[in-house]
Amino acid sequence: MNLFGNAVPWRSIAKEALERTAIVTRFLCLLHVTNTYICTPTLVYGPSMLPTLNLTGDVLLAERVSHRLGKVRPGDVVLVRSPVDPRKSLTKRVVAMGGDKVTFVVDPRNSDRVRTITVPRGHVWIQGDNIYASRDSRQFGAVPYGLVEGKILCRVWPLDGFGLLHH
Amino acid sequence: MLPTLNLTGDVLLAERVSHRLGKVRPGDVVLVRSPVDPRKSLTKRVVAMGGDKVTFVVDPRNSDRVRTITVPRGHVWIQGDNIYASRDSRQFGAVPYGLVEGKILCRCILMCIVASIVCIKRTPCSPMQVWPLDGFGLLHH
Repeated sequence: MNLFGNAVPWRSIAKEALERTAIVTRFLCLLHVTNTYICTPTLVYGPSMLPTLNLTGDVLLAERVSHRLGKVRPGDVVLVRSPVDPRKSLTKRVVAMGGDKVTFVVDPRNSDRVRTITVPRGHVWIQGDNIYASRDSRQFGAVPYGLVEGKILCRVWPLDGFGLLHH
Repeated sequence: MLPTLNLTGDVLLAERVSHRLGKVRPGDVVLVRSPVDPRKSLTKRVVAMGGDKVTFVVDPRNSDRVRTITVPRGHVWIQGDNIYASRDSRQFGAVPYGLVEGKILCRCILMCIVASIVCIKRTPCSPMQVWPLDGFGLLHH
């Protein structure tokens, strides 16, 4: 029996495989575009945003449209690329925008010393909600606005914290 | 960025893969989001990476004063090739690596000609500027 005869329909198998690959490729492209330009889920963990976010990890929905339109305001929780380690992203709260004066406690564990700084133009001042255990602008200074990657919309997981973040 | 790039405008090809893999080295011309105005992108040359010491002339028009600075970790020091007319790290300090958006590969002479024909640029480049094709290809210092 001829292997390339009518027994095995190679042509239609190849055609179907190609069509399925095309569908998967299109889906992956759509996923990539959505994650980069519209909104994306992110896993965040760490003690620096207690009690707003959990220590052991939350899945948050971050939208990536507002920061391109310049609609980031003090009080927003944002996703920011770390100025110290460019491979990491941080989740912190924006306390002041460029041009504002910001007053902060330099080292709350050890002293009550307070400093006031004017945030340079084009920069933002970010701080974790848990100032006792957060590496933020108090250590590495104001962060250029170009490092802001997204604004946190709401929490998706765990389900008992589902919804908008409360201050 | 004279004399590497033209005063009247250039169309360059920027690739966006290397900076994600961390393959940016001193001497590369990079596309960087401005730390002072986040709506603009700058094209400057990387002079030093994080951890290196960089020595630069603070204000070459007025004095010969030289300063040496250690670039903080996770930052890059960028300078324009024309230090007399460049706003770069000498004014706004080291730039976080996360602001690097791409590495310049080459200049597209054909696109420069097309752009001048359809009057995209403010000043069209004259035919004398593009022939001989010594500007085509990889940028040299």
